[in-house]
Amino acid sequence: MQKPSPTLLAFGDIAYQTFSFPHDHMPTLHSTIARCARAAAALAGVVLLAGCDKINFWRMDGHQSTIVVEGPVAREQLDLFIITCWVSLVIFIVVGAVLAYATFKFRARSADDEHAEPPPQGHGNPLIELSLIVASVLALVVIAIPTMKGIWNTYDVPEAERKDAYEVTATGYQWWFKFEYKSETAMTDAKGGKTPLITANELVIPAGRAVRIHLRSFDVIHSFWVPKLGGKVDMIPNRANILYLKADKPGYFWGQCAEYCGDSHAVMRFRVIALDKKEFAEWLEQQAQLGRTVTPSIASTPAPRGQFAALRQFKENEAGITIAYDTEPLKAWRTKQDPEKNEDPALIAQGREVFKKNSCANCHTIRGHDAGGVTAPDLTHFGSRTTLAGGLLENDATQLRRWIHDPLAVKPGNKMHFGVGAMAGYVKKNDSGKGYTRNITLTADDEVALVAYLHSLK
Amino acid sequence: MDATVKSAHLTHEEHAPAQPALLTHPSAKYGLMGWLTTVDHKKIGFLYGLFALIFFLVGGFEALLIRTQLMKPNNDFMSAQLYNTMFTMHGTTMIFLAVMPLSAAFFNFIMPLQIGARDVAFPRLNAFSLWTFVAGAIILNVGWIGPIFGIEGHNAPDAGWYGYSPLTSKVFSPGHSVDYWIMGLQLLGVASIAASLNFIVTIINMRAPGMTMMRLPVFTWMTLFTAFLIVLSFPFITIALVEVMMDRNFGTSFFEVSGGGMPILWQHLFWVFGHPEVYILILPAMGIISEILPTFSRKPLFGYPIVVFSGASIGFLGFAVWSHHMFTTGMGTVATAAFALATMAIAVPTGVKIFNWIGTLWGGHIMMRTPMMFALGFVWMFMIGGFSGVMHSAAPADAQQNDSYFVIAHFHYVLIGGSIFALLAGLHYWFPLMFGRKVSEFWGKLSFWVIFIGFNVTFFPMHFLGLNGMPRRTFTYDPNLGWDTANFIATMGSYVLGIGMTIYFIVLAYTFFKGEKVKKDYWDGRTLEWSLDNPPPEYNFRVIPTVHDRDAWWYEKNHKEEIAKEQAAHAKAEEAHGGIHMPFGSIWPFVASLGLLIVAIGVTMFTSKTTPGIGPKLGLTLVGGLVTFIGIYFWSLEGNEGYHIHLDKDGKVIEDGHHDKH
Repeated sequence: MQKPSPTLLAFGDIAYQTFSFPHDHMPTLHSTIARCARAAAALAGVVLLAGCDKINFWRMDGHQSTIVVEGPVAREQLDLFIITCWVSLVIFIVVGAVLAYATFKFRARSADDEHAEPPPQGHGNPLIELSLIVASVLALVVIAIPTMKGIWNTYDVPEAERKDAYEVTATGYQWWFKFEYKSETAMTDAKGGKTPLITANELVIPAGRAVRIHLRSFDVIHSFWVPKLGGKVDMIPNRANILYLKADKPGYFWGQCAEYCGDSHAVMRFRVIALDKKEFAEWLEQQAQLGRTVTPSIASTPAPRGQFAALRQFKENEAGITIAYDTEPLKAWRTKQDPEKNEDPALIAQGREVFKKNSCANCHTIRGHDAGGVTAPDLTHFGSRTTLAGGLLENDATQLRRWIHDPLAVKPGNKMHFGVGAMAGYVKKNDSGKGYTRNITLTADDEVALVAYLHSLK
Repeated sequence: MDATVKSAHLTHEEHAPAQPALLTHPSAKYGLMGWLTTVDHKKIGFLYGLFALIFFLVGGFEALLIRTQLMKPNNDFMSAQLYNTMFTMHGTTMIFLAVMPLSAAFFNFIMPLQIGARDVAFPRLNAFSLWTFVAGAIILNVGWIGPIFGIEGHNAPDAGWYGYSPLTSKVFSPGHSVDYWIMGLQLLGVASIAASLNFIVTIINMRAPGMTMMRLPVFTWMTLFTAFLIVLSFPFITIALVEVMMDRNFGTSFFEVSGGGMPILWQHLFWVFGHPEVYILILPAMGIISEILPTFSRKPLFGYPIVVFSGASIGFLGFAVWSHHMFTTGMGTVATAAFALATMAIAVPTGVKIFNWIGTLWGGHIMMRTPMMFALGFVWMFMIGGFSGVMHSAAPADAQQNDSYFVIAHFHYVLIGGSIFALLAGLHYWFPLMFGRKVSEFWGKLSFWVIFIGFNVTFFPMHFLGLNGMPRRTFTYDPNLGWDTANFIATMGSYVLGIGMTIYFIVLAYTFFKGEKVKKDYWDGRTLEWSLDNPPPEYNFRVIPTVHDRDAWWYEKNHKEEIAKEQAAHAKAEEAHGGIHMPFGSIWPFVASLGLLIVAIGVTMFTSKTTPGIGPKLGLTLVGGLVTFIGIYFWSLEGNEGYHIHLDKDGKVIEDGHHDKH
């Protein structure tokens, strides 16, 4: 991947020679500037070369890397990319060398040279031209064969694994993801009502097993992309797309919407968590339960109330992440599965009232808590997720309070603020059609209680 | 058609009856009226260039704002909504208001000179194209009144330059921004198609005697291919835009999901236009490069027939690869494979061009001047952009790269390293011909190096950003994804690029007013335009040349006696037919375009009335339609005759035959 260097160096040389071109009777000032430009060009080249192992982008091993991959689909795509890189690099070096050689060799070096007898006015050489065409076709065949293989291998779960493939449905909403496990059942009430398991923004899948994701969209076009596991496929309204993914081993992966979908496209993110067979089964069992109700008997010592008293001020677009969580995300996720320490049952009960009073249930579902809205993320086990607001913020008390305090400041245009369809959000569209009026106002106490309640939903 | 026969044909039309007052031909050559009524292809080309450069600076400024927002993670320099407007307008402006019209400026100014013609086939249609382009540019940008003056509901387009449905529907874009985008593109489409038909007819019918198709300069060939691409591809976007306009205004369901519409249909219609559009942007650039490299190597283009044929293949294949923009839409295996292979196939004719350009340098006497520097920069940068293009054609790999910064790196290497470098080269190359002045070599080369370095520092790191998973069209990113350094470097590079462009244009403007004057044929050129004095007289050729060889002017320079005899005979014949025939200016093309502007303002800026009757929307639209009708009506009434110019032995105009109608 060090393609720029030969180019830069070759051009550095041209720069050197052209600025000392004999025809240009440059005044002193000009030659000084020329010397500076030359030095700057050389310096830029040196910095690029010397800095390559220190600059982190060179390594390309971030959370959304397509180079350091962790699944067979992404690996096949990467291998193909590497082939195209090598073919390109070889041709670039050969053609570039010839071009550089021709430029230097046939350059007029003096005024006499320039005005010398014109060179032979040759019009071409069919033999050379045809053989170069044949050579380019051959180079493309080298790329075409693995491309064809890759298209068939990555489009759907391979035949051999299809029987065992795990199926999930993912639906894009402005600006979050809904994940539906149609093969799993979850309780809707204590009397034995059943519904397919639904969760949001964090897709949990079995590791080492092929997963087929059915892609749907609720509104505009979105795109489902988990770079470390595989390339993206779009979620298009009125179109049933599928995506095949597989994680080599348990892990925690970053995902992002990859098709521009309006105001908050940049912050429409999600996570994929791959678990081994046993842990995945445990997770499914946990998720099938109704929303957790905290009673004094299962809670430990109540915490002092003052802990979130003051709301921190956040700058626009301020990151909602911490290093500890970032370095060991899977560990952070596992911690989230257990009830919080220092739960305050009274506060949680108060939070549940706030949730009810403000009609949050019109849009959100919390199974077993009389909340059955379907236009917003299912919150039945919200407390067990590592992120909130569409994978944007870490799911801790500070960030959750930041989000419920003023969602619009976190995600531009979001539906929790403006409402969706006929449902009002924090504000309500005026009957005149112009402007909005406030619909939900939370006091500091409401916010603290709501945070405690939502975090109790393990 | 033979030139002498043609002038005989034209003299026949001159015995026109006296014109009514309204149809008096405008005679202003200077001042505002001179510019508004001009039909001279050189003046129209100049105006195209001027507007294109202004919009190039606007689009560049938008790019710098985008880069400033992305300089560091979690930046709050711009709101999300403004950022989304910025990238939409940057793309739309650069494609439709900068690169296309700058190419059109060269088509207009240079192409008729290269084929030995005195103007394009339909001079007034040419003026109409220009003014309709200006109207479209105004409509596209008029939405800025929203963010600037705080008018609710009005905003510049913000749904992406490709306007994917259903984001453009009334539900998801309730304001006027998408309407501006629709009508702006419609007007630009009208302008482009009219201009292209004009160029096609000109190239096919108005070549000087002896200028066979296989003697056409390569730039003219590329003009012809580009014109065909425009004429064949714009109808797709026109239809698609009409459909989305009907969805928004009349409740149809072409793309409306709730009514069973298919958003994917928009993508197919858009890219059947959109991919040829890419070649509309790059073929003129390839034509310019194919003129500059032979001139500065002092030898003919290597493998002319193959270069021309590869241009045709690129144009032809360009219609068979649109779905490679849609590899991630789940087209299925067979369609994906077919479009992947077709896309790879395009690499062959493109590679052929690069080989032939190198072949042109081989064995030449290379004069390393500013246009040549930009041209060589083009070849290097276009190669890099071409290679990343081949990487995209490997569809499974593209599933990772699509809509990531890797794509942004790729197409900026093709469009800046390609199109823009070539257009900047062309400006320097033809500047002495257009204005009779030359740009300082030192400042030209300095601007080249600053632009070249700035460009690479900006866009090379974006390859890494894309491979490291950074998606496009995102106004913010978190610091834990490893994108900070590359983004910072890219932003610094963009400032260097901005400085380079500033130097380039300041030098150009300085040269326009104060540059060193030069004699004709400054670069020792090879094609017919260099046979003219600079700047070229309004009638272009004193005598329509006879072409004997592919590099016609080079041949003339080497066969002076033969040519002198031939031209004397032609001059006599032409004088016998009444002298040099010139078309009259006309205000009506401008009026017709003005009407279209009023229509577009009516359609976009006002909301529909819910009660019956004529509101401002319908009213203004009808008024605009009437103005256009009046423009076209008088345009056709005023007839197509012209006047004559007579020259003395030294080429001086002896009788300004302005109202000389016999």
